[in-house]
Amino acid sequence: MTAAVPERRAWSPFARYRHTLWLLTSRDLKVRYSTSFLGYFWSILDPLVMAGIYWFVFTQVFNRGVGHEPYIVFLLTGLLPWMWFTGAVSDTTRAFLKESKLIRSTKIPRTIWVFRLVLSKGIEFIASIPVVAVFAIFAGATLHWEVVYSLLAILMQTVLIAGIGLIVAPLVVFFRDLERAVKLTLRFAFYASPIIYSLQDLPAGIETLGYFNPLSGIFSLYRAAFFPDAIVWSAVGVSAAMSVALLAIGMVVFRRTERSVLKGI
Amino acid sequence: MTESPTLASADPRTSGVIRVADAGIRFQRNRRSRRSFKDLFSSRARRGRPGEFWALRNINFDVVQGEAIGVVGRNGQGKSTLLKLVAEVILPDEGSVKVSEGVAPLIEITGGFVDDLTVRENVYLTAGLHGMKRAEIDAQFDEIIEFAEIGQFLDTPYKHLSSGMRVRIAFAVISRLEEPILLVDEVLAVGDKGFREKCYRRIEELLAGGRTLFFVSHNERDLRRFCTRGLYLDKGALVLDAPINEVIDRYNADYPSA
Repeated sequence: MTAAVPERRAWSPFARYRHTLWLLTSRDLKVRYSTSFLGYFWSILDPLVMAGIYWFVFTQVFNRGVGHEPYIVFLLTGLLPWMWFTGAVSDTTRAFLKESKLIRSTKIPRTIWVFRLVLSKGIEFIASIPVVAVFAIFAGATLHWEVVYSLLAILMQTVLIAGIGLIVAPLVVFFRDLERAVKLTLRFAFYASPIIYSLQDLPAGIETLGYFNPLSGIFSLYRAAFFPDAIVWSAVGVSAAMSVALLAIGMVVFRRTERSVLKGI
Repeated sequence: MTESPTLASADPRTSGVIRVADAGIRFQRNRRSRRSFKDLFSSRARRGRPGEFWALRNINFDVVQGEAIGVVGRNGQGKSTLLKLVAEVILPDEGSVKVSEGVAPLIEITGGFVDDLTVRENVYLTAGLHGMKRAEIDAQFDEIIEFAEIGQFLDTPYKHLSSGMRVRIAFAVISRLEEPILLVDEVLAVGDKGFREKCYRRIEELLAGGRTLFFVSHNERDLRRFCTRGLYLDKGALVLDAPINEVIDRYNADYPSA
């Protein structure tokens, strides 16, 4: 018997993973742009409207005693990474449920369902950076060399979100309530994170507590681009450690729950 | 086979391309039953709790390249579960399922298709997710479209296709995957008679090309047409692993009116 099955060129597992990740991410972008007229603008409109509101409330209504000048740039450097964080984390609650048909029929490395969300929201974040640039120019903020710390911040935030996603995504399959709990926690986390204020604005007792919010250190790194004295290295250290720890926990939880998740969807 | 014995273990024609060893999988009898965080951290062996049942247990078989396997059994005896284990879209709770070659799964074939994308985009997406490279899809594209008889709808969003067309394009894509193993669930019950016959001819073509087939069906005629070997599942156990005619006879003897 001469089997005529064509010899398949082998993908390396890594190339295959990357290829699949890219296909799914570009699929989401295509769907977004083919179904909505404003496309890209929606992803920057949301943080812009929020920045507008906070700018109005804190500079026009109240006598603001927090943050740095120009306040609109200060706000945006916190808000845009926050949109990435909150968007990706709240999407991971539906990572499996939304794609159940595909997961049931196609063998795809399961971590992709989480990482693709981190990636696609991350791309949106990168795409929104010009907005900061525009406001920085008009508000007259100066860019410092500390802008390179943003790369470190992006890396840390990727690790952090991936870790949280790996924990949240499988657990939501078993505990549907977790979806709402996560939404509520995110709303709380918005005010508990230094977005509309900076870490140094917190009262002395709470400031140390604020270090243990992994977002504090990350946001202070982003802000260093315009406000070099915003950086709090001890908070950055705590952030880095917590992000890595969460990723490690996430991997364990994910591996432990994988088979039950596949049965549960 | 003329291969030297040292190569034999690596050659899928003599060792199994699908090797199922002591595989078992458990499901929750009641979907809504409570789970606790404790489950995550107890060892796998200790997690057997009341309310769970074994959908399949102690399943052992090897499939060598080029075999055509038909899976027989009544509803709810684990046929589709076995197919999904082989497709590796679910994982066994005990034992192992090893599949050493690529798989083209005709299971829920429309699963990867996206409503808002066009037929063309969907073909590239689904074939890509199954591991085809862009250049390969380019080369196959016209044949896929011709097979699905869907030429004039290339730029129509998938959601606007009729259900028959959806199945046709999905089958056309998956059956072009060039993977050495073909898994077929009873999806082919859909579509009109003419197209079903076309699908069957395509499967025969693939079989003649040396593909391995894993086929789940209730239809005796189809089973006899494609398969040489049968697996008879009953109550979550592999009752009989024998030539297909023998398996079907045994099944008919056990359940005369089925």
